[in-house]
Amino acid sequence: MGLFILFGLFFFGLIAGVPVAFALGIATVAGFLYEGLPLFVAFQRIMSGISVFSLLAIPFFIFAGELMLHGGIAARLVRLAAAAVGAMRGGLGVVNVAASMLFGGISGSAVADTSALGSILMPVMKEKGYDPDYAVNVTVTSSIAGVVIPPSHNMILFAVAAGGGISVSKLFLAGVVPGILMCVCLAVAAYLVAVKRGYKAEVFPGWTSLAISFAVALPGLFTAVIIVGGVLSGVMTVTESGAFGAIYAIVVTALVYRELTWEGFRTAVVRAVRTTSMVMVLVGCASAFAYLLAIYRVPDHLAMALYSVSENPVVILLTLNFLLLILGMIMDMAALILICTPIFLPVVIGLDMDPLQFGIIMMMNLGLGLCTPPVGACLFVGCAIGGVKIEDAVKTIWPFYLAILVALMLVTYVPAISMTLPGLID
Amino acid sequence: MAIEPQRPAQGEKAGPVDHVLDAIARLGTAVSSVLLVTLIAIFGWLVWGRYVMNDTPTWVEQASLMIVSWIVFISAAVGVREHTHLRIEFIRDLFPDPIRITLEYVSDLLMLGFGAVMFWQGLGLLGPNWDRAVPMLGISESWRFLAFCVCGGLIVVFSLARIIDRLRGVGRDGPKATPADGAL
Repeated sequence: MGLFILFGLFFFGLIAGVPVAFALGIATVAGFLYEGLPLFVAFQRIMSGISVFSLLAIPFFIFAGELMLHGGIAARLVRLAAAAVGAMRGGLGVVNVAASMLFGGISGSAVADTSALGSILMPVMKEKGYDPDYAVNVTVTSSIAGVVIPPSHNMILFAVAAGGGISVSKLFLAGVVPGILMCVCLAVAAYLVAVKRGYKAEVFPGWTSLAISFAVALPGLFTAVIIVGGVLSGVMTVTESGAFGAIYAIVVTALVYRELTWEGFRTAVVRAVRTTSMVMVLVGCASAFAYLLAIYRVPDHLAMALYSVSENPVVILLTLNFLLLILGMIMDMAALILICTPIFLPVVIGLDMDPLQFGIIMMMNLGLGLCTPPVGACLFVGCAIGGVKIEDAVKTIWPFYLAILVALMLVTYVPAISMTLPGLID
Repeated sequence: MAIEPQRPAQGEKAGPVDHVLDAIARLGTAVSSVLLVTLIAIFGWLVWGRYVMNDTPTWVEQASLMIVSWIVFISAAVGVREHTHLRIEFIRDLFPDPIRITLEYVSDLLMLGFGAVMFWQGLGLLGPNWDRAVPMLGISESWRFLAFCVCGGLIVVFSLARIIDRLRGVGRDGPKATPADGAL
């Protein structure tokens, strides 16, 4: 009955339009009241949920991503990608994927990636004769690189939701190859669709131009080197490297590129505050919610339910992927990471899957959810920037979904793709 | 994420109370913004102290956790006013008008109730923690839980204002979110 109240009130709150974080909080309060547990414990859990040192990296990552958006780093990365791969058939589609890989590797946010690169590349693509739906589809789907390629604040959320036993630096490393693999699959899809639609190739600007583009983009690219390098080398904690990366981004955008205005800085701060608050309230409420999930032994019940369907790990993993995909279509990524990790992780550990591999599978699945209707933040932002109706974009997006699913299946069933790099630092 | 404050509905007439509440929300955003910049600055100091001066400022960790809890809870309350929290509205919008409108009231009432419980529990946590000092900072742990009271109190006020606005027929949800709004 307690479990019914917990989930019943949570889903009722969602349907009624209560913010996801508060729906979790309200359901938790009801659960505590039903079980006769002291309510102050729920609020202590909320506070202790957000009072985690590594979570402090989240505002820094989000702020750095916002600065890149307003300070000219994104535009220079696009120029570099255009010089490098623009001469391919359907070049701007592939440029879009390559730019996402570079930008996503720095900002760590899929939505920041969509709005930054979409606003730069979509007008150019349309001007060069690319269909708007193609421009939107490539931009939106390739933005998932932001959550898979390190650094990614969603990975930190996963590490925290997993109970703190997961090394963030190993998780970052685990995302590198799957992220690149996914981008390669998307580039192939972009190329094939471009060939089918007859888009022309750009002219190769020459090696000198490529070298200049690289040199100009280098200070911006160095932000990723600082953040990821700081963590992987063990010199800095993830929080320190996030803060250092944010300070470095201020220096580069304000003093080197000289494109960061006071208004841009103010906007970046306000947006970072809003997003941070939204994510962290979710973290706090999900932490209290997870306390009740543990009391009700939800992971054990789920594992038994899955094993009753099949004991074949291949089938169970496929079922988990399917569940994550469906949930990702209707709920936000951060919320799902925080709710699903404590439930699903014990199940996959029971299948001898490494938590790092599962973390990357979760990032890819929920990242895809950001690009799917009815609730897909990247799809909404991409369609708004590209001036394309959501239904029109979705009609032609399936080759890109397919490309991501191919990468997802490879990462799910070939552990070496995600586990080789983390294995090197054992 | 693209999260912009909800624009008021066309033709909506804001009363003096709305102006006061909007001013409180703007003040909350300003305070949180200053706190975020402070957070970045003290972390800059931490990195400088640890790697350049070889003298780690030990107070930074606890101070930053205290600052972030205030950023989070002030902005969380502001988000209720500005309608910026992540929510799922498409299911509610599938229902016929009478059910949809009822659900909107229920949503606001649930938020109001949660805000009240948060305020009350925050108040209850102030006393027992008053004499407990935050390590390395020396200030009372109650400062942390005071953020619950501020957030809970503001959520109650903002939710109540939404309910009154709905009863007056000037709901602040405004036009339905479209892709152009970049809103969820």
